[in-house]
Amino acid sequence: MPLTVNSLRRCFEGAVPAVIATCSRDGIPNVSYISEVHYVDPKHVALSFQFFSKTRQNVLENPRATVGVIHPDTGAQYRLAVRYLRTETSGPLFECMKAKLAGIASHAGMTGVFQLRGADVYRVESVTEIYGAALESPPPPEVDVTILRECMARLSAAHDLASLLDTLLDVLADPIGLRHTMVLMHDPSGERLYTVASRGYAESGVGAEVHPGEGIIGVAAQARIPVRISHATSEFGYGRAMREDAQSRGITAGLEERIPFPGLPESQSQIAVPILAGERLLGVLYAESETPGRFGYDEEDGFMVLASHVGAVSALLEDETRSPAGDEAPGVHPPVTPAGAALRVRRYAANDSIFIGEDYLIKGVAGAILWRLLRSHVEDGRCDHTNRELRLDRSIRLPDLSENLEARLILLARRLEERCPALRIEKTGRGRFRFHVLRPVVLAEIPA
Amino acid sequence: MRAMNAVSSRSQLLDAAHAAFIQGPVSVIVASRNAEQVPDVVRGCGCRVSRDRRQVTVLIEPARASSLLDDVAGNGLIAVVFSQPSTHRTIQLKGDDARVVPVTAADRAAVRRHQQQWCADLASIGYGPAFAVAVHGGAGQLAAIRFTPTAAFQQTPGPGAGQPLRG
Repeated sequence: MPLTVNSLRRCFEGAVPAVIATCSRDGIPNVSYISEVHYVDPKHVALSFQFFSKTRQNVLENPRATVGVIHPDTGAQYRLAVRYLRTETSGPLFECMKAKLAGIASHAGMTGVFQLRGADVYRVESVTEIYGAALESPPPPEVDVTILRECMARLSAAHDLASLLDTLLDVLADPIGLRHTMVLMHDPSGERLYTVASRGYAESGVGAEVHPGEGIIGVAAQARIPVRISHATSEFGYGRAMREDAQSRGITAGLEERIPFPGLPESQSQIAVPILAGERLLGVLYAESETPGRFGYDEEDGFMVLASHVGAVSALLEDETRSPAGDEAPGVHPPVTPAGAALRVRRYAANDSIFIGEDYLIKGVAGAILWRLLRSHVEDGRCDHTNRELRLDRSIRLPDLSENLEARLILLARRLEERCPALRIEKTGRGRFRFHVLRPVVLAEIPA
Repeated sequence: MRAMNAVSSRSQLLDAAHAAFIQGPVSVIVASRNAEQVPDVVRGCGCRVSRDRRQVTVLIEPARASSLLDDVAGNGLIAVVFSQPSTHRTIQLKGDDARVVPVTAADRAAVRRHQQQWCADLASIGYGPAFAVAVHGGAGQLAAIRFTPTAAFQQTPGPGAGQPLRG
């Protein structure tokens, strides 16, 4: 089987630095290290352009170059004959390489020195294995096709968005074997992502927000690309930075309460991939590990396959929830009469933030939904609701039809489960749910 | 070419510290180019500096080189990067009188010593001995390329990379 660029992808993880030989217009050779060789497609690679170097000057004069790479497991060496095509200084390829370079820099003790100026795209004209005593091949990747098939079958069986997202994190845990994972949904109006499900953290972090462009999750969302980091880096160590930021702000009751972002304190490897339904960004799937180099190109492929399947299934389920509400499912809990001490609930109208007693619960659209449900309970004694009725309610200010109401309800239901078990949302059928109020409530509104 | 001219001379470019550095536990990456201006590169497995520090000999395994030995024999052009894996300290030497010379017993001894030192440096940053030995090579047939450095550059990653070497 002839060597292909695809078969060398393990060489492009940045674990062992690559070298490039170039030649000036007047024929003087030059040789230099390259921090990052990035797999673009079966015919192209991109090299990190970090400094205005002789290499840079040479390839602009004479595009033919030779790259030497080493397989990080076997020590096998390969020679790539390449031809410089262009430099990208923004966009998905650039962002992806920038994040990865931050991890490589951290691994090499070069944080702050390695900065990406551009992604130099080269066409690969030939690949040759260099004679040598390579070690035995590493074991095949963990994410194989058989496992993927099983995962996809389980995802296809999901009956609503909540079970789809739970199944996604379940299959990542078993059979794939990842312990720290989360799903964030995209809020197209507020330009942010909010955590709706997680596994493996002391605090679930449901409701924690990330802005597009912020950290590896935000970059994956903004550029709609998979982003991986193989070694802990302060630059992209957003989980940690955000937690510290949240801590430094202290617990200040007020409008800008935030839910701390979950995350591993000693995270070494991170991967974030976009969940897309066609062109539309639904959310981001994120996983991390304390093991350096845990996520390679093969894992990235596996994540992309799972995420695109989740995007497609979720679009189908969304269509279903937009249709008229279905019959009540069997086994639903009957409404109960509130009892016990009264629950004081405050709403700040400025941003729909809701406090239970003195504790912040939620804000935004999910906050508006909760307030609407509480008022229905107090004013009309109603407990059964439909998605359609919420969608049409102007007090909730759902931004537009693309708004994923179902995801908001999941967020709200989980936040209540964690922080206020006296209020409970129970799905009672397709597009309908019951709002259980177990204690009497006293509502107070703080005008904007 | 400008940078090259700035320090270009047949005078002694390497001081004792540089000479020790390039004969120490450094990766040796050797490049030349062919008549069509296509560059080639091969990983070397050792280096020796002459007593007067005017000549540098790099050792490579011919089996690992594609056209490099022919290219060097044809045009005498060479660029060699020396970089210590654990520190990233890097320098590049260039020459235009490179030629293939017979391998001596001292060259073979230098390759054996280089393999031990280089593998120890890699071990200090977490690479296992089997991996390091596989990458290093040098157990088979060797070839020696000798040249007079006419230009030397500091190439440690950072803002100073590419500057002519100062003693």
